[in-house]
Amino acid sequence: MRLKAKLMLASFKMFIRQREAIIWTMLLPLFMVFLFSFVKFDGIGHVTVGIVNHSPDTTLVSLLRPIQALRISEGQEDQELTRLKKGDRSMVLVIPASFQTIGHDSLTLYLNAERPQETQAGTLILQRALDELVFQQNNLPRHVLHTELVNSRNLTYIDFLLPGILAMSIMQSGVFGVAFGFVILKKRGILRRLLATPMNTSDFIFAQVTTRLLVLMTQVLIMVGAGVLFFHLHFIGSLLNMIIVGMLGGIVFLSIGFALSGISKSEDQVAPLANLITLPMLMLSGVFFSRSNLPGFAHAITNFFPLTYLADGLRSIAIEGATLSDVIPQLIGLAVWIVITLFIAIKAFRWE
Amino acid sequence: MNSVLEVSNLKKRYGDLVAVDGISFNVTRGEVFGILGPNGAGKTTTLEMIETLRPLDSGQVLLDGIDVQREPQKVKRLIGVQLQSSSFFDKLTLTELLLLFGEMYGRQVDATALLDEAELRDKAKSYVVQLSGGQKQRFSIAAALVNDPVILFLDEPTTGLDPQARRHLWGVIRRIRSEGKTIVITTHYMEEAEELCDRVAIMDSGRIVANAPPQELVRQLLAKGFKKERVERLASLEDVFLDLTGHSLREE
Repeated sequence: MRLKAKLMLASFKMFIRQREAIIWTMLLPLFMVFLFSFVKFDGIGHVTVGIVNHSPDTTLVSLLRPIQALRISEGQEDQELTRLKKGDRSMVLVIPASFQTIGHDSLTLYLNAERPQETQAGTLILQRALDELVFQQNNLPRHVLHTELVNSRNLTYIDFLLPGILAMSIMQSGVFGVAFGFVILKKRGILRRLLATPMNTSDFIFAQVTTRLLVLMTQVLIMVGAGVLFFHLHFIGSLLNMIIVGMLGGIVFLSIGFALSGISKSEDQVAPLANLITLPMLMLSGVFFSRSNLPGFAHAITNFFPLTYLADGLRSIAIEGATLSDVIPQLIGLAVWIVITLFIAIKAFRWE
Repeated sequence: MNSVLEVSNLKKRYGDLVAVDGISFNVTRGEVFGILGPNGAGKTTTLEMIETLRPLDSGQVLLDGIDVQREPQKVKRLIGVQLQSSSFFDKLTLTELLLLFGEMYGRQVDATALLDEAELRDKAKSYVVQLSGGQKQRFSIAAALVNDPVILFLDEPTTGLDPQARRHLWGVIRRIRSEGKTIVITTHYMEEAEELCDRVAIMDSGRIVANAPPQELVRQLLAKGFKKERVERLASLEDVFLDLTGHSLREE
């Protein structure tokens, strides 16, 4: 036990004295968030409208659909209102059951209070469409658009991005940190020197893993802290849950790192392998952009990437306030990956 | 029983190459035992098998009466190991490294005393990367002493050092010897073996071709009627070098 503690202390000291490692794991991810904070992906040129149609008459909806300025989705009333509150919609139009093309019903339009420009434009477009419906029938009474402001939590791109970047940095420091670290220890004969001592080798691995998980915990705290302080992150989740999910992901990527260090003989061999594994995930696991735009088969495959589970889990907890039971699919996904990668790591890892 | 190390019929082969071909020797308590030989003679492989770092193909190694194959952990506690080109963690100071290595043996060591032994006290707060070649080797020896070993294994400790640093290291080794430690050292410098060793085994192609005190081996050779072609010079180029550059160390 004493040796474990001393080894942990030593490896922690080594880590914090390694300036490059601190920069890679702590500052670089924050810098990326900083860069992306200048990019405005939100609401470019169109108004997102949720439509809840209680009536069998679909004339209005089919009239609205082709309008380019609107991005229309249909759904249940409670769902659409939730999305409005989350900031996924700029407005939600509720068409009552009694609605008929020719008539003078009252339609309710819920507006996202923080997006006045979009909602003004959207309201005008809807009003014109309603008028057009009736106009065809001459001088009949008009439909009335009854508007209501809703206070939404308007999630920004940063809210989407930051948990993703956190997941990414957990992956990078796990895979690259361990793989490079151990290959260097091996190549320079340091592991061999350790083998000449009566130390239990598992104590050494234990110290390495716990140190890195501790670093991971710090990563979570720093990212969330800096996100809330500097980047207006709408963090409503539990830090503890973030750390738990982060740790599970961390174990997967540490195991991959150990496996790679076992397969490779030098740094030159580690780099391409590590990139081969991490790059596709970085691009396709929804770190920077939502996976919803991926073609069907790619979407289906990326569903099973460990980074997808980690990013989705962290994101749901951070910005949707999800509890652990809300992210059970992600937890199961990560658990399965832990079993797979740990098995490979144990098989592949070599002391010399 | 005065033998601290008994090696009998030790064998190791890598594929078709027989690295160590059934060698036997004993090392007496308190002596400096040299294993000499050209590169590739099997010196390092022999040491690594004794040090538990490499499995034996056949034969037996008894260290202080303990079988290396059967109880490697026990043997590790008894021996001090300086590996060829061994290196240490980057970002720990010499003191921290010695304390950590001590912990690996379950000991709380006096790092300063160990650094004194290797004449590195003023480098206590340095990292290994900041040391010169000779200082690195001396530190490596200090690290091999953390467990107060019964026997110390030094694998080519002076390879690549300049004459001053080599002589300085000899001084450190002699002092450790004078404190009663048994030392097994490999080298391919003959003058080093003559300076340090009480007894040497000369290895070639995995076999021991001679095993005796250096003076004894020289006497045997002369008895066979050997004569050097040139008249013995009273000084060598190394003597000239040391006369011109002095014995003091050139490391910072």
